[in-house]
Parts: sequence; C-alpha cells; structure tokens
Amino acid sequence: MKRVIKHKSELAGQEITFTVSEKLNKLKGKVLAPKKLADANKLLRKLKTPLPK
Amino acid sequence: MKYDVYTDIEVTDDFNVFDFISTGKNGDILKRVAFTRTEQDGVYNLALGDVDEDNEINDYAVTDNGDRNKVLATVAFIVEAYTKKFPDRWIIFRGSTEERTRLYRMAVGLHLDELSSLYEIWAYKDERLVPFTKNLKIKAFLIRRKFS
Repeated sequence: MKRVIKHKSELAGQEITFTVSEKLNKLKGKVLAPKKLADANKLLRKLKTPLPK
Repeated sequence: MKYDVYTDIEVTDDFNVFDFISTGKNGDILKRVAFTRTEQDGVYNLALGDVDEDNEINDYAVTDNGDRNKVLATVAFIVEAYTKKFPDRWIIFRGSTEERTRLYRMAVGLHLDELSSLYEIWAYKDERLVPFTKNLKIKAFLIRRKFS
C-alpha cells in the first residue's frame, strides 16, 4: 500500500498529495546536484555574518 | 498566491527529494527538487532541475515547456511542506544562472508580503546576509520558517 502525505498550503489553501516512492527512496544517501551543492558550500564558507538566531 | 500547481508529487520517505511531471508544449518532463545538507550546520541546499537519462538533476536544462509559473508555484509549495516538517532548517537557493536568480528574485519580490508572513527571508549579498527587499541584487536566498 502506498504511503500518502497530504499538505494543505497555508499560503494558497490548495492541497498537494505527496506519495512516497520506493524508486525515489533508492536515491537516499546519494549527493544530488553536486555542483549546485559545491556552489552553495563555497558561498557559505565566504559568509562574513552569522546565521540569524 | 493563486497559481496553478502540480498536485501529484512523489517523495522519498525522508522528505528530501521530490519528483513531479511538468506537462506542456514539449510534452511530459520529469522535474526533481532536492534538499541536501551543506557544510554549514542546519543549512540545506535546494536544487531544482530536469531529471536526465542518468537519473541526475540537470539544473542547466532549458525546458521551455510553457509552464514556468506552475513549476515555480509547485516548488514554492514543496518548500512550504518541507519547512513545515523541518522548521528549524535554513534553505539556501539560487538560480543556476544569473538570469534564473533574477527570476527567483522577481518571483519572491512579487509575493514578498505573503511569503514574509511565513518565512524569514534573507539575501546573500557581498558575502553578508541582509534582509531581502524588492529589487535587491543578490547571489542567493536563505530562508527559514518563522517561529510562531
């Protein structure tokens, strides 16, 4: 039986259905979009201000 | 925010990877949104792109499927659901090109009042974080759910 998660948007009032996918679960642990992640890490390393509390 | 969205989305059970199908003038195109932990504690990178033949996210693909607003609205809803589940996580996002970052800036700017009711919205500018304001030229966004 498929696991389904419903989410109603607080901003728009619409409902979205999320279905847990065994096929997608196989991606767990894999680094996705590694270049984008590397770019983000580079920006964060250069950050001169702390994250807001 | 009254936009049409894709309402059937597949997700990993850890709620970090989301797939949906963009339907438009070029057919059905599988889109993927992924949140990945960065080196900075509590900050997660948002990536959005087409899924290529190697099952990888291609965030440089130009789909031109005629449904840009619907895709962006769907991503906004995914972010809303994600940050509801993980309210203490910061999300960093930017476009893969300057033009796309500009598009995100315009989209956030257009809905800034509504979005600000839900999120803290910070801009990465000149290696500093500053509160985002409309028309501010920035490198990236950092957002987090406001504590209620």
